[in-house]
Amino acid sequence: MALILIYKLGDDLYGLEIDAIQEIIENPVLHYVPRAEGVLTGSINFHGQILAVIDLPALLDFAVAQRDHRHLVLTPDYRSLVLTTSGVERIVNLEMELLQAPPEGYDRPAVRGVIDYDETTINLLDTDEVIKQLEEIFAE
Amino acid sequence: MRIEISYKFIIGFIVVVVSGILVNLAVPYIKGIEPEFRQVFSIFCSLVVGLIIGSAFSRAFTGNIRRLTSAGDRIRQGDLSEDVEVGGSRFPDETSDLAKAMNQFQASLRSLVGDIRNIAFRVASSSQNLSGTSQEMSASAQEVARTTDQISKGAETQAEMVEESTRLFKELAISIKLVASSAKTVADSADLTLETARSGSDMAGSSLDSIRQVLTEAEGSGQQMVNFIAQLQKISKFVEVINGIAQKTNLLALNATIEAARAGEYGHGFAVVAEEIRKLADTTTTSADEITSLVESIEKEGQQVKSSMAQVIDEMESGREAADRTNQAFSEITRNAEGTRSKASSIAELTEQQTSSAERIIRAIDEIDRVVSDNAAATEQVSAATQEQSAAMEEMAQSAKELSNMSESMLQIVKQFKLVKDQD
Repeated sequence: MALILIYKLGDDLYGLEIDAIQEIIENPVLHYVPRAEGVLTGSINFHGQILAVIDLPALLDFAVAQRDHRHLVLTPDYRSLVLTTSGVERIVNLEMELLQAPPEGYDRPAVRGVIDYDETTINLLDTDEVIKQLEEIFAE
Repeated sequence: MRIEISYKFIIGFIVVVVSGILVNLAVPYIKGIEPEFRQVFSIFCSLVVGLIIGSAFSRAFTGNIRRLTSAGDRIRQGDLSEDVEVGGSRFPDETSDLAKAMNQFQASLRSLVGDIRNIAFRVASSSQNLSGTSQEMSASAQEVARTTDQISKGAETQAEMVEESTRLFKELAISIKLVASSAKTVADSADLTLETARSGSDMAGSSLDSIRQVLTEAEGSGQQMVNFIAQLQKISKFVEVINGIAQKTNLLALNATIEAARAGEYGHGFAVVAEEIRKLADTTTTSADEITSLVESIEKEGQQVKSSMAQVIDEMESGREAADRTNQAFSEITRNAEGTRSKASSIAELTEQQTSSAERIIRAIDEIDRVVSDNAAATEQVSAATQEQSAAMEEMAQSAKELSNMSESMLQIVKQFKLVKDQD
């Protein structure tokens, strides 16, 4: 059993283990970062720390997607990134034994595995893939 | 010295005898004459003396007779210009008397003819004047006759026109009576209209009052609806607040769950509480959403009611205006009907006056008609008299002309007498 935060990216449901989440914050004061890439929306002051806010739908190429006013602050294990989603849903308790590898030719980006819950499919976010993509972008 | 003819013959004879005696006595003293011829000589001398005296005497006598004869001839021919002159006036005789008598006769004849001629002249000129005057008078009389004819015709036309006038005035009187009765009808209608308009005005006024009352009530309802909608909006605001609190609660529950998870086994109970709180927050959100949608639908209906109310108020307003206008129209109708009634009444009065005036006019025209008829008759009499006068004038002119002609011929006759010696 594991607690998973379900959120939306575009029209798809994604999930993230809450162990990776430091806190969910609402309407932070967003500071503009000059000459930043499109995926870097800005920076926030989180309890005295300057954290980068990443536009996850933009990073994962969700063309049409709304942005939630709630943001996920990841733990320092995940570089203390702040992720913007299309909408924070809720926290559910999932049987991680039911987690399956994404099928061959699965077109959703950054998916570590899929799990069926309540007649829907939840894509578990591959945080390593996200960090990798970010590193690729910012390395250039 | 007057010597009568017989004495003149005697005196001549005596002279012849005396001369014979004297010659007889003187012959012896005459030488050269033989005594035998002395007798012959004295006879011869006596004869010579006798012949001389006789011839002288008879010549004078016959000359006087011839003059007298020629004077008589002259007088017979009408020449009274010369007096008769006889010669040998040293010893006038009967021829002189005859000449004197003829001269006296001629003088009296001359004066008579002169008088006649003067009178004839005067008569001619008078008769000419008379003729001219009578012609003028005749012409004047004809003119008068013609004028009288015209007057007569004019009088006839006048009579016709008067008749026509009478007819027209009678028609006019009838028309005036019709107008009077129409005016009466109009006045009655105006009265009826006035009454109807007054009751209509009252009805319009009462309906206006009702509309005003309803309008006031509707305005009150509209205000209540506005207040109600404002209250609903307040509810909406409260619901928003509740919704915000629920979301905050939801977020807090999420973060509490995360914190509880981080606390591991110790946080399990807290996680359950957090889940319950989240459920409550969700329920609250759902309820708030329901309230919001309920408020929204109520608000929508309220808006509809408000707009319906506004429409009703608008319609009421236009109804009120219409009623106002109706009331004004009725007032106008009332005023007009009053005006119409008073005008119709005055028309009726005026037409009554007109009727009496027209009747008086008709009487006057009848009088005129009679006068005109009398005039026509009189004019015809005048015309007849004038024609008679004209005829008399013509006769008189004819007579004057005849008189003139007669005086002219008399003058011609008198002119045959020559009273003055010609100047040539």
